[in-house]
Amino acid sequence: MAEHILLRDLDVPDIKAFDVYVQHGGYEALRKAVGMTPAAVIDVVKASNLRGRGGAGFPTGVKWSFIPQSEPVKYVVVNADESEPGTFKDRQILEGNPHQLIEGAMIAAYAIQATAVYIYLRGEFWDIAANLDACIEDARKEGLIGPDVLGSGWSCEMYTHLGAGAYICGEESALLNSLQGLLGQPRVRPPFPAQKGGGLYYEATVVNNVETLTNVPWIITHGAEEYKKIGTPESPGPKIYCLSGHVAKPGNYELPLGITFRELIFEHAGGIPDGKQLKAILPSGASGPVLPATDAVLDTPLTYEAVAQIGSTLGSASIILMDETVNVAWAASKMMKFFAHESCGKCTPCREGTYWLRRRYEALLDGRAQARDIAILDDVASQMTGVTLCALGEFAVNPVRATIKHFRADYEAWIKQEAAEDKKAAKPAPAREKAAAR
Amino acid sequence: MTTTVTIHIDGVPYAVPDGMNLVDAARIYAGVEIPIFCYHPKMKPVGMCRMCLVDLGFEVRDRATGELALNPDGTPQVRWGRKLETGCTTTVRAGMYVRTRTEQVQEARRDVLEFLLSSHPLDCPVCDKGGECPLQNLTMRHGPGTSRMAYDDKLHLDKHVPLGDLIYLDRERCIQCARCVRFQDEVVGDDVLAFHERGRRLQIITTSTPGFDTYFSGNTTDICPVGALTTADFRFGARPWELTNVPSISPHGPVGENIALSMRLDRDSGGVQVIKRVIPRQNEDVNEIWISDKTRFGHHFTLSPDRLREALARKRGELTPVALDDALKAAAKALKEAGNSVGFIGGPMTSNEDFFALRELAAHVGSRKLGLWPATLGDAAPAAEVGIASGSRLTELGKGDAVLVVASDLEEEAPIWFLQAKQAADRGAALIVANLRETKLDRYASRTVRYGLGGAVGFLDGAASDETLAQAANLVVFVGNEGLGADEHGVLLRAAANLLITTGHAGRRNNGLIPVWPGANTQGGFDLGFESAATRAMLQSAPDVLIVVGADVAETPAGAAALDAAKFVIALSLFPDATTAKADVVLPIQSFAERDGTFTNAMRRVQRFYTAQGPVGESLPAWQVIGLLGQRLGMDRPRRSAALVMKALAESVKLYAGMSYPALAEAAVQTPPIGISPGFYGGTAAAPTGGTGLQWPSKAESRAKLSVTPVEAPQAVHAGAGELVIVPLRRLYDRAPEFFASAVMHGRIPQPFVALHPSDAARLGAVDGGRVKLSAGGASLDVTAVVDATAPEGLALLPQRLAPGAFPQEPVAGRVEPVAEAVAAD
Repeated sequence: MAEHILLRDLDVPDIKAFDVYVQHGGYEALRKAVGMTPAAVIDVVKASNLRGRGGAGFPTGVKWSFIPQSEPVKYVVVNADESEPGTFKDRQILEGNPHQLIEGAMIAAYAIQATAVYIYLRGEFWDIAANLDACIEDARKEGLIGPDVLGSGWSCEMYTHLGAGAYICGEESALLNSLQGLLGQPRVRPPFPAQKGGGLYYEATVVNNVETLTNVPWIITHGAEEYKKIGTPESPGPKIYCLSGHVAKPGNYELPLGITFRELIFEHAGGIPDGKQLKAILPSGASGPVLPATDAVLDTPLTYEAVAQIGSTLGSASIILMDETVNVAWAASKMMKFFAHESCGKCTPCREGTYWLRRRYEALLDGRAQARDIAILDDVASQMTGVTLCALGEFAVNPVRATIKHFRADYEAWIKQEAAEDKKAAKPAPAREKAAAR
Repeated sequence: MTTTVTIHIDGVPYAVPDGMNLVDAARIYAGVEIPIFCYHPKMKPVGMCRMCLVDLGFEVRDRATGELALNPDGTPQVRWGRKLETGCTTTVRAGMYVRTRTEQVQEARRDVLEFLLSSHPLDCPVCDKGGECPLQNLTMRHGPGTSRMAYDDKLHLDKHVPLGDLIYLDRERCIQCARCVRFQDEVVGDDVLAFHERGRRLQIITTSTPGFDTYFSGNTTDICPVGALTTADFRFGARPWELTNVPSISPHGPVGENIALSMRLDRDSGGVQVIKRVIPRQNEDVNEIWISDKTRFGHHFTLSPDRLREALARKRGELTPVALDDALKAAAKALKEAGNSVGFIGGPMTSNEDFFALRELAAHVGSRKLGLWPATLGDAAPAAEVGIASGSRLTELGKGDAVLVVASDLEEEAPIWFLQAKQAADRGAALIVANLRETKLDRYASRTVRYGLGGAVGFLDGAASDETLAQAANLVVFVGNEGLGADEHGVLLRAAANLLITTGHAGRRNNGLIPVWPGANTQGGFDLGFESAATRAMLQSAPDVLIVVGADVAETPAGAAALDAAKFVIALSLFPDATTAKADVVLPIQSFAERDGTFTNAMRRVQRFYTAQGPVGESLPAWQVIGLLGQRLGMDRPRRSAALVMKALAESVKLYAGMSYPALAEAAVQTPPIGISPGFYGGTAAAPTGGTGLQWPSKAESRAKLSVTPVEAPQAVHAGAGELVIVPLRRLYDRAPEFFASAVMHGRIPQPFVALHPSDAARLGAVDGGRVKLSAGGASLDVTAVVDATAPEGLALLPQRLAPGAFPQEPVAGRVEPVAEAVAAD
């Protein structure tokens, strides 16, 4: 890929500085946007079919168009609570190319005529927040933020806010609660954030991910048609893929949507180190169902639709790779420990279910589990499915159900050990699946 | 106005109000119980527990024509949701289909219960809630019979966590429904509870010092759907199935909270029937399902060892125990000698039957001196004219309505009305709070008015020109007597009546005057012809014989002087007090818990309480004692029961016509039906068994012509040089024996104090926490000074009934002097 659209810090040294950013065309898109009507800005973003990069893939322009223009107070909230395990893309934008996010957020704010933008950062990003504050100040001095932005007559403030260390606050309604100083627990919807009563301080609010908004200036500058030339028609644009785990060159890769797992892992990221075989792929951190590294999976294009079709989600494209040395049941136990720690506790199935599952995984790894415990793990996870208050509970079952589905042998391996010790191994364990076929 | 829509529940069509909560609609209109834990009809839904999951669908309509799409068999097509939805966060609308009995729904319920029980201690055999526990009930109905949770996986948490001195939390039992947190936040406004931590470690904490600092904490134990919250008073005291709930009425304050006394034979009390706890009894017209902590915990006086158990008569100057007959004989002798120079004073817990008996005795001896205690009140005529109209509900006030509170600290004087005024404001009603000082209700007020001493009448007289009040759809005016002299109180009540008449609000439902009387039956006393003004006249010139019923007349210097001036004092009392000490004959009477009777609340609702426990010593109901006395003076023998007294009362007092005991025992239907057994909405509010009472209509309701009587404020008390005006305040928690007997409350009852403005304190040399001596009208009190910036300058705010000793109960000019503390020598 020639030039980066999002990770421009890789192309232009010091683009995080205001002057450098402006020298390289920075804030021209905002200038262009405020010369358009807000509705026209929304139309361009709609036409580009930019989809939310936070994980859900919801069309950004459509989200903006839900905001009732009649409301006098409206907000844009930037979700910079990047906390999905294996996700570190927003961090690079925030550190390396912060003005492009600020510009994108201001364009979004103009499009819905917001009165303020709040950037909600995870608590560990305190240094980033300090730097971002300085960037906001630089932009404010130039009349890009604050009263009467660029002489348009529209005023908008921008603030940063640090979270206090909760994964759940990446969920938009919990994020809004946390931003308001309330307990970080998700809200009942409807009302949705875009509606009066559902957003920040109960005003209509757009909540967008950092990467999503960082796309926006380019779209405004180059137009929707140019943007759609990147990626696929349903999933256009560039995407930052975060690669980690058993991969030769881990890190962020900005590549078009629609390339395959194989291209990403083996062509760009140098494949699997030490000549090992790739066994399992987590395409979207802990939240998405695990995939066995079969040919069919490796040849699947990385788009929202295609990954969904093979039973997982693209999510925020935080791709964690596991080679043949990994027992996937062990990996699942780590993920369940994470979800049990991060469940907010508001709704029963998630609060009790994640705790119960965590305890059963502990038993499994301690060699205390019996064969029926695999069924219990699967059952408990399945009875959490579809009944929780927010998506965290929905995602929390993925490590269990998908790993049992694809890697049952890894579970049985733990149980067989225990059975052997008991000298009660009456019936032979089922033959191991050739799960890590490749 | 709400329109009615048709929804289908389990295939059956029901007409329900559009926009109603689905759980309520199913319960009330279809008799279908969608199980719940976190949802409560008195609070906003939160959808946390996931117990109320139902299958939700909508009829399909053709987009172009808007016509119903039909199945081949002619039934409407229904598009069912992909996932189950929580019923509590769903509001009904036309075309909605609900399935509550499908395998999927039943499985979801079973699953949620399995989850809840997976970390629940299942210590039902020792749990206070066992037997009336929603978690138990719903597990029996919907739950799995067994758990797959390995015992080793159970989480163990603290089981004895005091959230303050009144309420204990069992963290293992808690199911994190947040009902208690939401109650304190949404209903009360004291957000002293919160969630701490997250996930399975999520737990309830208190954020106030002292812990759980509110007047309403006990209600959280009622609405708790498990046994996680228990009261210090009741925990481990009894099993619910051993308890008999006897309907009753709170003897504390003018609201007339409907309660049930949970009774049990008790080993520790000598095997007799005693009150183990007090729970609210649902009455949406009065207290809904809430009671104050005073009502809940203030019942211990009924079995206090200090209660009078036998009659006393003065022998050689000393009060000596005598047989009841002898005491009555001595009293009758004095009465015969006095002719018609007999005065009667009834106190705040005196029932209608007692007042009626007094009235009959007065008529017999030819006296018209019918006095009401305290002596500080105006008259009830304005309330009789434009008192809040029958059938009014404070819970219906909202947007477009106005609530005006004048000269009252509602939280301290009538906590339930505080809740209801606050919630009316939450719903959008304009709340105007006028007083000479800041009160807690100010927090929720859309406007606060501050007037100086003597300024209340002037404010209210001019209020008719206030647009908010004049244009309000409905207007309710609370009038108290804080900072007012008795005459001024009377004028203020009249000014309130004038306002309601002028603005055209008088006589309409949800409109009218609510006098914030001090006692549970002050209104009943007025209704039966007893006057505070008559008491004042008797204090001026004492009759030969004074009969005092349940009134500590000696708590004021004037009262004590009148007792001294009377030749003979007959005191009917629960406790020995300063008044009985001055009496010649003391007759023990029964408390509200030991007898039948009626109280009339300040909204003119006559309500029955029932005999719950046996008598203490030789005590009798006051009406019976009075009747026995009358018999000795030649009257008929006393009636055989309270019911017969009430029958005679209803026949002779027009306002109470038709209010027989059977009529008063009728219970109005309560919506939503919270107090039913086993309580669908969970919690332990009792059903309205025993009656919801009857209200007598105000004059305005009968379309009588009402006229405005011009008012003039009387001269305010003026402080001389070096003096402050000492203003008595009513406080919820005081040291009156009817409350102080509840030892569990002692931590919450303040030390005797007076609040002073910083500049007054500085001028007088009083320091915060230092001792001061108050003196006025020949009386003095020794109290602690509290320097309080909210106290108006020039006033010393003195909560009543905290310090021992007589003191005036009206604003009075007096001195406040620091008491030199003994200083240790170096």
